[in-house]
Amino acid sequence: MIQFDQVTKRYPGSDEVLKNVSLRINAGEFVFVTGHSGAGKSTLLKLIAATERPTSGTVLIANQNVSQLKASAIPFLRRRFGLIFQDHKLLYDRSCFENVILPLRINGISGIEAAKRVRAALDKVGLLHKEKAMPITLSGGEQQRLAIARAVVSRPSILIADEPTGNLDASYAADILAIFYAFNQVGVTVVMATHDASCASTRQNRVLHLNQGLLTEQLLHPADLEENPASIEKFHYE
Amino acid sequence: MNNWLNHHLQALSLVLNRMRHHAWSTFMICLVIGVALCLPSLFYLGVDNLSKLADHMQQDTEISLFLKQDTDAATIQQIEQQLAKNDAIRHYHLVTKEEAWQQLKVKSESNQDLNGAIHALENNPLPDAFFIQAKSAVPDELETLKSALQNISGVEHALLNTEWVKRLATLLNLGEQFIFFIALLLAIVLLVIIGNTVRMQILTQKDEIEVSYLIGATNSFIRTPFLYAGMLYGLLGGLLAVAMMMFIIMTFNYSIADISHLYSSDFSLRLFNTELFITMVTTAAIIGWVGSYLAVSRAIANFKLS
Repeated sequence: MIQFDQVTKRYPGSDEVLKNVSLRINAGEFVFVTGHSGAGKSTLLKLIAATERPTSGTVLIANQNVSQLKASAIPFLRRRFGLIFQDHKLLYDRSCFENVILPLRINGISGIEAAKRVRAALDKVGLLHKEKAMPITLSGGEQQRLAIARAVVSRPSILIADEPTGNLDASYAADILAIFYAFNQVGVTVVMATHDASCASTRQNRVLHLNQGLLTEQLLHPADLEENPASIEKFHYE
Repeated sequence: MNNWLNHHLQALSLVLNRMRHHAWSTFMICLVIGVALCLPSLFYLGVDNLSKLADHMQQDTEISLFLKQDTDAATIQQIEQQLAKNDAIRHYHLVTKEEAWQQLKVKSESNQDLNGAIHALENNPLPDAFFIQAKSAVPDELETLKSALQNISGVEHALLNTEWVKRLATLLNLGEQFIFFIALLLAIVLLVIIGNTVRMQILTQKDEIEVSYLIGATNSFIRTPFLYAGMLYGLLGGLLAVAMMMFIIMTFNYSIADISHLYSSDFSLRLFNTELFITMVTTAAIIGWVGSYLAVSRAIANFKLS
């Protein structure tokens, strides 16, 4: 589904943010991307979402080479993704309902069908009763859930979340994670960047760990964590 | 097709909603556009009506055909037959020297000096004369007719006073060129005003544009609402200009009616100058579209996803 082959990314005037990264994420997987801030997690996600292009190497999304895509084809590639950001990127000048309907508008879906889908998405994240509320009146956790509703309303096959729980306290973070797991259960591929590897402690997940642009891959078993909590620490500060 | 229609309807309703929310600033922008449109239109109206008036006057232009002093009745009849045959002449009438003499006496009664001078004359110094109105009002054709009439035997002098009409026509021509440039300059002003307004809107909607791009919006999805906004500004500004023009024309017509009355004419400005109004509104809408297209294209080209 997502394949990186020797991908290097360098921003103008900076060192290489990603160095020779190769990876493969299959459909239906739930993958964490971990590492310090500045380790290249966001860049990796941006490459997947085609908001950035690799300096060298190839990025394949659903067998399409992103570097070779025409600029006019990029929007249609992006519609396969649901993007979730640490700062939500909600639009504060309109209601929750209007926020969630935006991707459907872009997809040309309107009317009763659109309203039905928006309510279904809001229901999945537990915000159905807030559809008329303005996002600014919601708590941080609710705002993030609203952002998730917006990301899933157009039924994308891949969810990409950049530090979705970064600003939230533990119980909200657990809510968010539970929602992601629920989507993963019905076949949605989830790629989630986090600096907090303990998120993964409840289930077995693949973890792509970035350190100064280099990728190491690890399978994190919940059992490992229980036996040796230090391994998480190692993950954190390696 | 349905999708396309949906896309446009959504964009339009979005823009209309935004305009309703910012009714006051929308009105101000439209007012600026309206005033800018009004200026060249007023000039045009002035020159257009002046040239109509000039045409009107040209039609009244007479050729005066003064006959030789000693012309007898038979010659006059001959000349009259020739005039009757001439296709270029609409109608003519003869004023004999005795009639002219009587008229002059009557007219000069109030003027002591002139009256004295006339009575001092022993003989009637006035010639017989034909006053001719041509079918054509074109100065050149009038000139040709005049020389043709001049050559009729028994004619002393043919007089055509078109000089001032020619001068007026030249001036009006100059006026039309002047309007063209004023209109061109104001079109550029409109382009800049609308382009700038749209640019400001793009800035205020930066977040929305960014989010839309991130979730897969195409350039045309981003662009369409702004194009509608530009077009609507032009359209509303144009309609406002039409309203202002009608108000101005109505005010003018009161004074014009007074003047026309003095000249016993029923000349007045047309309140519904349909072609002018349609031209104003469509021009404004097109300029609005182009202005916002330029602004949005620039913004899209410079847009960076953070």
